[in-house]
Parts: sequence; C-alpha cells; structure tokens
Amino acid sequence: MAETILRVDLLAKSFGGVKAVRDLSFDVSAGEILGLIGPNGSGKSTTVNVLAGLLPPTSGSIRLGADAIEHMPEADRVSKGLARTFQTARLFPEFTVRQHVRMGCHTIRRTSAFASILPFGLVTREQVATDQHVDGILQLCTLAQIADRPVGSISSAQQRFLMIATALAAKPRILLVDEPAAGLVEHERQALADLIRNIRKREIAVLIIEHHMALIMSLCDRIVVLNFGSKIAEGSPAEIRANPAVIDAYLGEAA
Amino acid sequence: MNRTLTFLAWLAAFATLAMLPQLITVKYYLHLSILALIWVIMAQGQNLIQGYTGYVSIVGAGFMGIGAYSSTLLGLHLHLPTWVTIAMAPMVTALFALATGYPSLRIKGHYFAIVTLAFNLIIVIVLVNYKELTNGETGISNIPKLWGGSRDAYFYLVLLLAAFLTLLAALIARSRVGEILLAIRQNEDLVGSIGIAAWKYKLFAFVVSAMYAGLAGALYAHFQGFINPEIFGVAQSLDAILAVILGGSGTIAGPVIGAFLVVFLPELLRFADSFRLILYGLILVLATIFMPIGIVGVCKALICRLSGKGLRHGA
Repeated sequence: MAETILRVDLLAKSFGGVKAVRDLSFDVSAGEILGLIGPNGSGKSTTVNVLAGLLPPTSGSIRLGADAIEHMPEADRVSKGLARTFQTARLFPEFTVRQHVRMGCHTIRRTSAFASILPFGLVTREQVATDQHVDGILQLCTLAQIADRPVGSISSAQQRFLMIATALAAKPRILLVDEPAAGLVEHERQALADLIRNIRKREIAVLIIEHHMALIMSLCDRIVVLNFGSKIAEGSPAEIRANPAVIDAYLGEAA
Repeated sequence: MNRTLTFLAWLAAFATLAMLPQLITVKYYLHLSILALIWVIMAQGQNLIQGYTGYVSIVGAGFMGIGAYSSTLLGLHLHLPTWVTIAMAPMVTALFALATGYPSLRIKGHYFAIVTLAFNLIIVIVLVNYKELTNGETGISNIPKLWGGSRDAYFYLVLLLAAFLTLLAALIARSRVGEILLAIRQNEDLVGSIGIAAWKYKLFAFVVSAMYAGLAGALYAHFQGFINPEIFGVAQSLDAILAVILGGSGTIAGPVIGAFLVVFLPELLRFADSFRLILYGLILVLATIFMPIGIVGVCKALICRLSGKGLRHGA
C-alpha cells in the first residue's frame, strides 16, 4: 500500500447559508490519480480552493503527510508539497516560458530571494541546479521547444501545460489540477493524459477535476463523485460508471 | 555586446552630468539640476512600487515630507550634525512606511491608490496643525546647509547618491526579488499559489520606495534651507507618478529621464507666461494617453524596429 499523501476528513465549507461542501472525506496516495467529478456547482472547485488554502474551511481537517494544513497560509502549503493549477489561465504573460517555470521553483530554493540582490554570488551552485531542474520540467511537459518565447504569445493549450509545469517546478507531493482539458482538442487531450501519467510515475499524487468523462475514466485509479457538496459515490471508474446514483445525478442514461 | 553598450551609455550620462557645474553658466540651471537629481532619487523609489510591483502609491511626497521634517527637526532639537540627520531620515520614513504599508497593501488597484492618497493628506494635515513641532504653515527656515551652502559640492553629493541609488534599484530589479515584483504586477493570485508570500515583497518595495523618498526629502530640505507642508502635498506625489510614467515605468533609465522632465519642463515653458501650467498639464495628459510606455519604452521599440530592418538588409 502506497503512502497516503493527502487525507481529507469531514471537510465542510459554507458561504453564509449555502453549504458548498458538506462533510467530505477522502484520501489520495502517492502515485495515485484521483478524479473529482460532479455536476456544475457541486463543490469541486470550492474543495480545491479550500485544499490549496485560498478559502478557509468551515470545519474538518486536511492532512498533508503528517501535517495538519487546514489553517496554513496558501504559500506555506506549497512548500509542504501541495501545488495546484487553475481552471482559467492564470499566468505571467510578460515572462518567457522558462522564466515562468523558474518562478515555480521559489519554494525549493535554499537561498532567500533577498540575498540575490547583492551582486556577489554571480553563478551559484544552486542556480545551476535550479536551471537543470527547470530544463527537466520543460522536457517533461513538452515545452522545451518554446522555452524562450513570451508566455503571452504561446497557444492556449501550451499555456495549460505551462500551468502544470510551473506547479510541478515546486516538486510537489500532490498536484491538484482543476479542469486541465478545458478548451483542448483530441490530440492535445491525449498529450495531457500522457503528461499526467508521467507525473504519476514520479510518485506524485494527482487530484484531477474534469468534465471530459472519457479522459477521467481512462486516467483515474479512483473517482469521487460530488453532488450538492456531498460525496455520493467513490470507487474505480467501472464502479462509478455503473453506480445508479451517479448516473441519476451526473452521467445520465447514455453513459 | 548589448550589455556593454548599455553600460557605456550610463557611463556617458554620468560623465555628462558630472561636468554640468563646469558647463552651466546660468546658476539657476545648476539649481534646477540639483532639484532634478533629488527627483531622480524620488522617481527611482516610486518606480519600484509603481513600475515594477504595479501598485500606484500617491503618498510619495508625504514620505518626502517625513524625511525632510525628521532630518530638520532632529538637527534642530537634538543638535545632531546634518550628515547624521540626513542618514536618519530614510530610517524614520521606513518606520512610517511599515506602519502604513502593512494594512494598505492588502487592497489593490484604485483602492490602494486612494488609501495612499489619504495618507498623504493626513501627513500634510498633521504638518500644518502640529504647530509646536512643525511651525505650521509658516514652515521652517534657516535649515543648516552642508559645506556652507556650496552649490557645486552639493551637486556632486546629490549626483553620487542618485547614481548609487539608481544602481541599487537596478540590482533589485535584476534580482529574484525584482522578478517576483514583476510577477506580482502581472498576476498576484498566481504568485500566492506558487508558494510566494507576496505581502513580504510588496511591503519590501513599499518601504524601500519610502526610504528613497525620505532621503530625497532630507536632501531637499538641506538644499533649499526652507520647508513648509504645502511642498509635500498630493500635487508633488502626482509629479513623482508622472516622472515614472513619462520616463518609462518598469525601466531603470525611465525615472532618470522622467525626473529631469518634471523639473525642467515647467521652466522651459516659461515663454508661455500665464498659460505655462495649462500647457504643462496638456503635455502630460497627451503624453500619458499617446505614450503610456514612456520615453524609454518608445526608444526601445524604435531600436528594435531599426535593428530588425538592419538585419533584414544583411547589414
């Protein structure tokens, strides 16, 4: 049994009277791909935002490895090993692709950013190591060809891969990807699936939110289904596909 | 090659400026040049928070006032040498910037601008009404000058300080901190989600910019020998913002050019007599509308276009 990376226990999030997430529990192990699906408004993105620290939970606990992180600031969770991407493109459009990925290395550097103001340590060993790490990520995410192009000038599919690359640069133990296939065409979706499988090979846990069912079913080891903020099912893709409650709430008869 | 050229351009600019006291025959222009160099310091600081970080602060002149008054009052009441009080001015200003920056940097865009504008108004109100300390609107005169008021010597002091602080701004801009500030300007939400505590860097940029302003204020006070609250009003803060925009925000050369423009342009327009300030305003409005990337931005674009053409002709 692989090590449990993320353990969510009775997590709840309310906005005033609206209960967006109700007593949600699940866990993700190293090298596992967990799908989080459900109809629009079922609380998937809220869950990711609470896990990443963008929103405080109303109650419940989140453990990352041995650490309770539910009250930890967003930035600290990244250094603990939790990285994420966003549903819509959130990028630094003026940077080059390489610079953009390098920004993602902030939490794994051992020297303070402020130390780099001093003109003395011209080329440090750390800089060389970081550059090699960035090159590796660019290769993995098939961005090496366009590494020196400005982010604003690359295609929206490439931007989606760049978001994942930047999150990976922090060497996370778990990666949360929020609708990575939105707006991608078939061969780009294939490339995305290959990338996520390669990420899993690095013993990184992946939590993926996605509406494209063929992608989710082929990619995931396990799937958690949300409806109105509650978990209505959990299981392998085959189990989920056959679950009457899921068919009723989300997949529909045709699936 | 490119870097060598840039370095040579800076060296030439510095050498030209260093020769100014010999070249300028009209004393008034030397006076204006000293003011412009003080404004270079002011604008380099403003550029850090406005140009790089993307937070338009309207409290620049207020911080300048804090620097000017603290240096003057420390000398007056504690009888410290002018050297020491000038060096202490940015420290005092930094304390004020820490206290005001921490809460106000939580808000963005226009809201941040308005809050800092309010800070500037409050600083002026305190300077006007705390008469026991500041002598109110009458201001303080006979502020001690360095070297018995030698203009040439003061010119070189201010030139060296402006050069050093421009270099420091360049070091910050080229460092990882500078990269993070640029990232905050482009997408602050993403900065947080990749594990960078943006508030640290915003506060750093805000405090450093305030220290630049505080030093500029102290240098101003001991140059003019007279200060009153009006000098440090919102209008001056807007001049600092304009210096950055006109020169080219987010560049190192921009604030230098912009600072000389905001000091010399109103003087060069004296021929327009009573229409002078109207004309100045008009130029500023047109420049911001049609040249938002500033003079340095326009030059860079031109050089790119020219060198692009050169390459195509195989030259």
